[in-house]
Amino acid sequence: MRNLLDFKDRESIPVEEVEPVSSIVKRFKTGAMSFGSLSKEAHETLAIAMNRIGGKSNSGEGGEDPKRYAPDANGDLRRSAIKQIASGRFGVKSHYLIHADELQIKMAQGAKPGEGGQLPGNKVYPWVADVRGSTPGVGLISPPPHHDIYSIEDLAQLIYDLKNANREARISVKLVAKSGIGTIAAGVAKGKADVISVSGYDGGTGASPRTSIKHTGLPWELGLAETHQTLMLNNLRERVVLETDGKLMTGKDVVMAALLGAEEFGFATAPLVVLGCVMMRVCHKDTCPVGIATQNPELREKFMGNADHVVNFMHYIAQEVREIMAMLGFRTIEEMIGRTDILTISERAKVHWKAKDLDLSTLIYRVDGGRTCQTKQDHQLQRSLDESAILPMVLSIIEQNEKVDITYNIKNTHRAVGTITGSEITKRYGEEGMVEDAITLRFNGSAGQSFGAYVPKGMTLRLTGDANDYVGKGLSGGKIIISSPPEAKSAESGNIIIGNVALYGATTGEAYINGYAGERFAVRNSGANAVVEGIGDHGCEYMTGGRVVILGDVGKNFAAGMSGGIAYILTEDPEKFDVLCNKEMVAIETVSDPMELEEVKRLIQNHYHYTASQKARFVLSHWNGSMQKLVKVIPRDFRHMQEQIQTYKNAGMSDREAALHAFELKKKNAVGNQNLKTSTVVPL
Amino acid sequence: MGKLTGFMDYAREEVEEREARHRISDWREYKAPFSDETLKRQGARCMDCGTPFCQIGEVLDGATTGCPIYNLIPEWNHLVYLEKWEEALERLLKTNNFPEFTGRVCPAPCEGSCTLAIADPAVTIKSIERTIIDKGFENGWIASRMPRNRTGKSVAIIGSGPAGLASADQLNQAGHMVTVYERQDRAGGLLMYGIPNMKLEKEVVERRVRLLEEEGIQFILNTEVGIDIHADELNEMYDAVILCTGA
Ligand SMILES: Cc1cc2nc3c(=O)[nH]c(=O)nc-3n(C[C@H](O)[C@H](O)[C@H](O)COP(=O)(O)OP(=O)(O)OC[C@H]3O[C@@H](n4cnc5c(N)ncnc54)[C@H](O)[C@@H]3O)c2cc1C
Ligand code: SF4
Repeated sequence: MRNLLDFKDRESIPVEEVEPVSSIVKRFKTGAMSFGSLSKEAHETLAIAMNRIGGKSNSGEGGEDPKRYAPDANGDLRRSAIKQIASGRFGVKSHYLIHADELQIKMAQGAKPGEGGQLPGNKVYPWVADVRGSTPGVGLISPPPHHDIYSIEDLAQLIYDLKNANREARISVKLVAKSGIGTIAAGVAKGKADVISVSGYDGGTGASPRTSIKHTGLPWELGLAETHQTLMLNNLRERVVLETDGKLMTGKDVVMAALLGAEEFGFATAPLVVLGCVMMRVCHKDTCPVGIATQNPELREKFMGNADHVVNFMHYIAQEVREIMAMLGFRTIEEMIGRTDILTISERAKVHWKAKDLDLSTLIYRVDGGRTCQTKQDHQLQRSLDESAILPMVLSIIEQNEKVDITYNIKNTHRAVGTITGSEITKRYGEEGMVEDAITLRFNGSAGQSFGAYVPKGMTLRLTGDANDYVGKGLSGGKIIISSPPEAKSAESGNIIIGNVALYGATTGEAYINGYAGERFAVRNSGANAVVEGIGDHGCEYMTGGRVVILGDVGKNFAAGMSGGIAYILTEDPEKFDVLCNKEMVAIETVSDPMELEEVKRLIQNHYHYTASQKARFVLSHWNGSMQKLVKVIPRDFRHMQEQIQTYKNAGMSDREAALHAFELKKKNAVGNQNLKTSTVVPL
Repeated sequence: MGKLTGFMDYAREEVEEREARHRISDWREYKAPFSDETLKRQGARCMDCGTPFCQIGEVLDGATTGCPIYNLIPEWNHLVYLEKWEEALERLLKTNNFPEFTGRVCPAPCEGSCTLAIADPAVTIKSIERTIIDKGFENGWIASRMPRNRTGKSVAIIGSGPAGLASADQLNQAGHMVTVYERQDRAGGLLMYGIPNMKLEKEVVERRVRLLEEEGIQFILNTEVGIDIHADELNEMYDAVILCTGA
């Protein structure tokens, strides 16, 4: 689209007067490509290169190995400056969030708007499974929607949660070009995103279905222009930074993007080509012969990329940008942003048989007013319970690594309670956190949204009362206990005590819920253990790890897309459960292994101990009878891999070796099947 | 594309060469085509690249990279992997008039630009090509193809090297009446009088010339245009004249 536009003739200036390459490259970013889709080598090389020039690389949605958070001996940093939060929430934990300069919520991907993503099982090597909190060899699904975002208010809440999890990071929201994006972006700006990224259809094409690229995506030019203009018309432009990406390849592309309103620029395909990508289009097959989009150690050895090359590439692009700026008479990028008045429809476009019928005037429409980000969003963190009441009392205790137990009153306007405090623990003690229950915070009342989001190990939140949606979102090792008040004990079972989407994307930790939870309980849980007394629809969806014990009923579509972890359900009506459970990926079984029963018992005992649950007490006192009714839901692939790993362990292998062997066995079988398939279909 | 992991599972293999002690007693070809098994394995190494550099003949900095006649290499590699020899031949003949020549003496710029060659030995494209066509001749899949219609137009081609033969073949199949003038006593140009037998047996050239004759092309040998016959005469006798006289 940008090729239909031309620059107007303007008075040039000497190139020396234009801002230097070193400051231009700070506006450059590399695309969101996950570790898992990219090899360790490729992913880290991009990060090193971007950190060297002060630009930003993007982790993508696959989590990140904490080893990368500390600088290397030579001063290089392999940490991705941008950490992405996508619908799968893989590896999104407190530690991951704190090690970022920017947190990006991925609403969609330009080349396949509206679609989720997936990492096929044969790419889920043990080390990928590790950072994603999943099982080697078991495929992973990123669902199309974020389960905690169904409205713009929900998005605002997630922005708030993330800002609490890392107060220094900018919060970015990645949107895709579509008509109407301006309205969406206005909502996102009001929801207090610091950065809005507009992604075009021609980025990330290697990993997207051809039909989506061709028929659903739109050029970033349309999305960017609409976003920029709408934000200006609504006096919102000065509050956010605008970014764009989608096959930016040259300095001219960057200048065009700046003129249409972008302040920062993302590159993905081009830096990959610089690293040696030969456009094989086999990103999903784990056979990338240049070691970029593969995890296979044999192929990774062939990786020839080099951070210097990426640095050079970025410098060349910036230099070309400078030359064009000199020609156009701009000294700084800042003054160039949004100057659509110097764009004109190209002569070529005017006579082209098809292009000549396009009306491009709205694309270069000029609104008066501030064209770039001028003020920071006010996230109002000072009003949070953490900053106003908790931190002043516990910060010094965290610093001294001591213990505390304090009680507060809580109201439902207190959102993301505990998150900032948790981030202070993570900042100091990393993933290890503090000793169990070190920071015990008790609350009485009704908690607002995202109670205990991302709280790390060492933090225990005990709420007597009830809580809104998103309890324990992204739980990162902490403990959340929610009990009904003593005066309501008699009515506890069957009453809803917490809202929807609790424990979404939880990674580790424990939760004890003395009552019913709403819909979408423990969706995308990858390692937390929870006990609850009944849940609504879509429970344990897309779960990949952890244990969930449900002492009561479940709603419909239970365990849909669940590929890991185990759920235990004490149901009164097994036949009804059989109907409610989505059995596409899971099996329903009984529990006979005494060790496993012991584990379930321990969780229920904890539950009773923490919440004085009447139901737990009943179950424990009628243990044998209750266990007759216990059903277990376990994903078939997951069980198979676990058994395989156990077999290798029994044969004397370490955890790591066993996982790798089991994975390789599975992969070998999968490849065998694939070949069988291709040999019957001739793709001509 | 062959097998998904073929390039990791199999190493490059070369065609078999006759033993030196047998070779020294004659001048005959010393390379043999692949066996079926090897052919299949070698086809399996092809990666069916998103950007198949092998089949994109281009001149970069004065050097040819990729197949100059745009052979559909990944496609026939896949077909030989599936043991669909006849289909492979059909794909090969879509772009190549004389695979039995290129499969033996082409310098194979395709292999030079093979993606696999970035870090591993290239796919043995040329030998696969040769094996496909040799198999074709062996099994009688190559027979003369008579042009369906005649246009009533006539063409003279001066020179019977590969350039002359290829033009003759194309124009004859298009229905024109083709006459090839050659100053030597045999057709084939350097294929006949330049390239040694050990690389390209003369029977291979003759076999092709015979086929072309069967298909209606006329060869006038021992006739040097400019001396034995004047160029003006050719211009008068034919609707078009093509110069393929070599370097
Ligand atoms: C020793 C040697 C080894 C080679 N090895 C290889 C190899 O391994 N691989 C490879 O790819 N290439 C090789 N080549 C090069 C290859 O043979 C030539 O590039 C190719 O033959 C050129 O084809 P052509 O049709 O343009 O010309 P030529 O093959 O030269 O054919 C031209 C024909 O025109 C005839 N002619 C010329 N003037 C007239 C006229 N006035 N009237 C009538 N007839 C005329 C000539 O007699 C000749 O038969 C080799 C060349 C030589 C000399
Ligand atoms: S060997 Fe065959 S495929 Fe390769 S460049 Fe020569 S003619 Fe083309």
